[in-house]
Amino acid sequence: MIAFLRSGFSTRRSRNGLWGVPLVIVVLLVAVLTLATEQFATRENLFNLVAQAMPLLIAAIGQLFVIIVGGLDLSVGSVISFSTAILSLDAPAVVLIPAVFVLAGLVGLINGLVITRLNVHPIIATLAMQYILLGITRILRPVSGGDIPQIIISAVQGSFLGLPMPVFWGVIAIGLAAKLLYGTRFGLHLFGIGGGVAAGMEDAARNFGIRVDRNIVLAYVACSLFAALAGVFLAGRIVSGDPNVGLLFELDAITAAAIGGTQLSGGVGSLHGTVLGAVILALLANGMNMANISPFVQTAIKGGLLLAIVGLQSRKKMGL
Amino acid sequence: MFDGQQEYLVEMRGISKAFGPNRVLRDVSLCLRPGSVHALMGENGAGKSTLMKILAGVHKRDKGLIRMNGVDLNLPSPREALSAGISTVFQELSLLPNLTIAENMFLGREPQTRTGAPDRRRMRAETAAALAELDLKLDPDQLVSTLTIAERQFVEIAHGIKADASVLILDEPTAALNAADVEVLNRSIRNLRAKGRVIVYISHRMDEIFGICDEVTVLKDGQYVGTRAIADVTPDQLIAMMVGRELADLFPARAGNLAQPVLELRGFKAAPKARAFDLTLHQGEILGLAGLEGQGQQRIMRALIGRHPVFGGSLHLHGQALKFPNRANGIRSMARLGLGFVPEDRKEEGLMLGLSVAANLVIGLHAEKPAVAPARALRDVVQRMSDALRIKTASPATPVGALSGGNQQKVLLGRYLAQGLKVLVIEEPTRGVDIGAKSEIYGLLRDFTNAGGAVLVTSRETVELIGLCDRLAIVHGDTVVAEMPAGQATEHGILAAALTTEGVAA
Amino acid sequence: MNPVLRRLAAVPPAYYVFALLLLVLWIARPNMLNPNVLGIFVRQVVPLGILVLGQLLVMRVRSIDLSGGGVILLINYIITSRTFPEASGLMFILMALAIGGAVGLLNGYMVAKRRVSAVIVTLAVSIILVGLVQFLSSGKPPGDVPKYMNEIFDIKYGPLPLPVLFWLGCTALMWLALQRSVYGRYVEAVGENAEAAAFSGVPVERTVVAAHVLAGLIAAVAALVQTGSIAVGSVRVGLDLPILAVAATILGGVVFGRGEGGVWGPFFGVLSFALLFVVMTVFGIDDPGKLIAQGVIILMAAILYGWRSKRG
Repeated sequence: MIAFLRSGFSTRRSRNGLWGVPLVIVVLLVAVLTLATEQFATRENLFNLVAQAMPLLIAAIGQLFVIIVGGLDLSVGSVISFSTAILSLDAPAVVLIPAVFVLAGLVGLINGLVITRLNVHPIIATLAMQYILLGITRILRPVSGGDIPQIIISAVQGSFLGLPMPVFWGVIAIGLAAKLLYGTRFGLHLFGIGGGVAAGMEDAARNFGIRVDRNIVLAYVACSLFAALAGVFLAGRIVSGDPNVGLLFELDAITAAAIGGTQLSGGVGSLHGTVLGAVILALLANGMNMANISPFVQTAIKGGLLLAIVGLQSRKKMGL
Repeated sequence: MFDGQQEYLVEMRGISKAFGPNRVLRDVSLCLRPGSVHALMGENGAGKSTLMKILAGVHKRDKGLIRMNGVDLNLPSPREALSAGISTVFQELSLLPNLTIAENMFLGREPQTRTGAPDRRRMRAETAAALAELDLKLDPDQLVSTLTIAERQFVEIAHGIKADASVLILDEPTAALNAADVEVLNRSIRNLRAKGRVIVYISHRMDEIFGICDEVTVLKDGQYVGTRAIADVTPDQLIAMMVGRELADLFPARAGNLAQPVLELRGFKAAPKARAFDLTLHQGEILGLAGLEGQGQQRIMRALIGRHPVFGGSLHLHGQALKFPNRANGIRSMARLGLGFVPEDRKEEGLMLGLSVAANLVIGLHAEKPAVAPARALRDVVQRMSDALRIKTASPATPVGALSGGNQQKVLLGRYLAQGLKVLVIEEPTRGVDIGAKSEIYGLLRDFTNAGGAVLVTSRETVELIGLCDRLAIVHGDTVVAEMPAGQATEHGILAAALTTEGVAA
Repeated sequence: MNPVLRRLAAVPPAYYVFALLLLVLWIARPNMLNPNVLGIFVRQVVPLGILVLGQLLVMRVRSIDLSGGGVILLINYIITSRTFPEASGLMFILMALAIGGAVGLLNGYMVAKRRVSAVIVTLAVSIILVGLVQFLSSGKPPGDVPKYMNEIFDIKYGPLPLPVLFWLGCTALMWLALQRSVYGRYVEAVGENAEAAAFSGVPVERTVVAAHVLAGLIAAVAALVQTGSIAVGSVRVGLDLPILAVAATILGGVVFGRGEGGVWGPFFGVLSFALLFVVMTVFGIDDPGKLIAQGVIILMAAILYGWRSKRG
């Protein structure tokens, strides 16, 4: 356990990145907020905090998959909005819920294929997808509205065994990602591919006999599916379809992963670090809300945070 | 065809391969007997690595036939080669730095537990066993990024052996190893041979070839020269097969008396623990940094333009004391002082392949000007350099990537010659260049020094350094261990000079 | 492929798209094809056209600038909010250039010296600026644009609006700079192979920083023109311009590191967008359709170049 904690402060011992730093920040933030405010440590606020943090946490986990292979997915926010729009359509839940995931999987598949087969830079491919999907979403649902299936609302807003439902969403999402990243050959291969990309040896993983293209495509599919999950959760929270609800989510997700020690050049990062990163963003938002800081300023602060965090990660090459 | 099944495990016949306009392999054959170590020899650029990458599925052949156990193989990717039992240790290190040793050993064919997870316990145990076989005391859970170059090389070799392959390709496996390490490696190779495996062994070191190999196939300029049993040839005969010509004819006459020094290094340290050394380059001289590959020749040269850190010493250029340049603008500041650096890797560091011959030739001249200055076309310069260097191109507007290797190299050199520099530091003057162009480039460099220039050069081909240079400085362990006139140097003498001083530095 | 086809495939897609849209318009609404109407349409895309000049410059050196939206918004806010009631036109111009230059310098430093992902940096900068303006204005439209700015924007010489002439002039200037200056050679070399450029003595980092600073200054100019084109300030103005600029640039045959399209390819890329908006309005396609069209155009152009670079 101690050895594991120590590895969070060293890049020599593991490829998990510096997740020890965000752990310390989380502890400090919780301490400061508890001491400085009376509301923070209340049951109500903590439940609210978990629910607020969850969509970002889930989306960041998805983003982690593509960051590990040295890519980025800027279509995450659109997938989230799109998912809420689909769920707000007039159809039974048994149709809508599978439809969300099938369509999101398709988006990831297209992203992945365009990047691997058609040789398009991931940022450009997913940026284009962001716009296309946003357009489709606005056709489906020009302004916020519609009804969300009751089953989703109950699954998000209720509680179970004395714990708020969002906790279980988090457990399932983290458990699923942990299995994929650490409990399958797929996960190991993602790290291998990303390590090669970061070291400037794009062919290295292929030389080991790894199906590089297929794994990259699957990483984008996983990213979109997690984004869809985040979208389903959000739909249950806001109880409507909203074409703008996912706006800038992709950048928050990248920020969360980067704060958690994940290297945007690929190959280095961890699930626990990313979760910590998302928790930090949620704690900051919670604290700023309690301090009555304007949401516009909060947006600007998050932008500054992203800038600072990526500024600390120096890369070998310039570029997109 | 004769009784292939008994005699040969692998047959490669009529293999041809071109990269763009460069025909790298022409109708090459290679036949491998089971239970043998087969040396593949040839000068750099002869096509050895390309041939092996075709066998490993990295490159696709344009033409030719590959058979294993009498069955035709189509090798579209490394995956198929690996599953056919062909395993490779490449010359360039290709381990993934962010994975552990055990993960690298099993990557792509991990054992799985019942839940489908990679079986880490088994990977760890088998890796430990494989490392122990090579006398390595490394933790299988260590990240590869924390290993030394030699350790990585051994892990690569362990990986190749571990693959349970029937064919193991070792492409210059000993480049980063010392003598004791080489002996450990040889023992493993003999074990594999006893098990009936085939080992293809690429190396330039004659003692290794004669110490461990059974047969040798020689390539020259992408063509098959012949296959011999090692017992039937001498080292001199092998060299004759590789070179196939009188070397002396290739090289221009050496310089006469040397004039004043132009570049002086005093108490120079290229690595923290390396011994300090002095080095002087004179006007009119071609000075070669010789020695085993990767012993610090490149580090010393790159330190001169700030591309490698310096750990002590002083630098004089034309008698003027200089601070060692920094990375940010070392190339520019040294060019202003008359020193140009010609990088080895044409594709990555040398040329802008998509730009025209003309643009590549004059970019150095433009770089001397302020950014807001008007850019003249400098057609006269382009014309003059194209004529002087005899660059064969359809037009100056042709993208340089469409030229042959030799002409590309001339364009690269031409860029620095056009700048009117006094000192050229050249990493590999003729890498991947055919014989005719080599000879021309040697002549150009000699013309440059005869006109008052000076050249500091290194090369993987020792023969080239001996023929081209006036004087050689033997580099080992990031320091100069001996100097000798090139006219009296031999490959053996250089190796002896390098190796008798082994252990001077870490 | 035969040589003629290969030649045709090398022409930036913008020219084909422009011709196609012109044809569509000619068939659907021939009466719109007169100089006066077209002049108005083209005048609308002048801010985009100017912004594209910066975008193509940074894309030539394998970077990207998505911060233009934030720059335009901030400058528009400063001019329309009466924060500086005494400021003259010249003062506004200087302030705009200072803002653009500072943002460009920050972008350039982060991209070239810190080697941070250009998309992330410039998006983050944009978010900060937008957040700042929205905070300052509390999300409400700030105020009126000074009259003289609208008047300058409305000047016409025959059928030719002044902004269009200004855009043409700026484009010609950029063309001249890239074609005829040493800096143009630096840009070309860095885009093709930054490492080889460095070994040739090209100051790579400075070239990239300069490209970003220029892009920032150009964004400031675009902001001034954009402000002149509207009567009332807005907290949404210009936000979609950077991505349109990327699309127009790629459509015009300039992709990361490669500049076959020069400056006139992207110029026609912008004209294509001008016509596209007209055609979409004619066919009753509204905002969502435009978003999809932008995405599809970026994707198609990028695919085309990815496909070409794979073969060549």
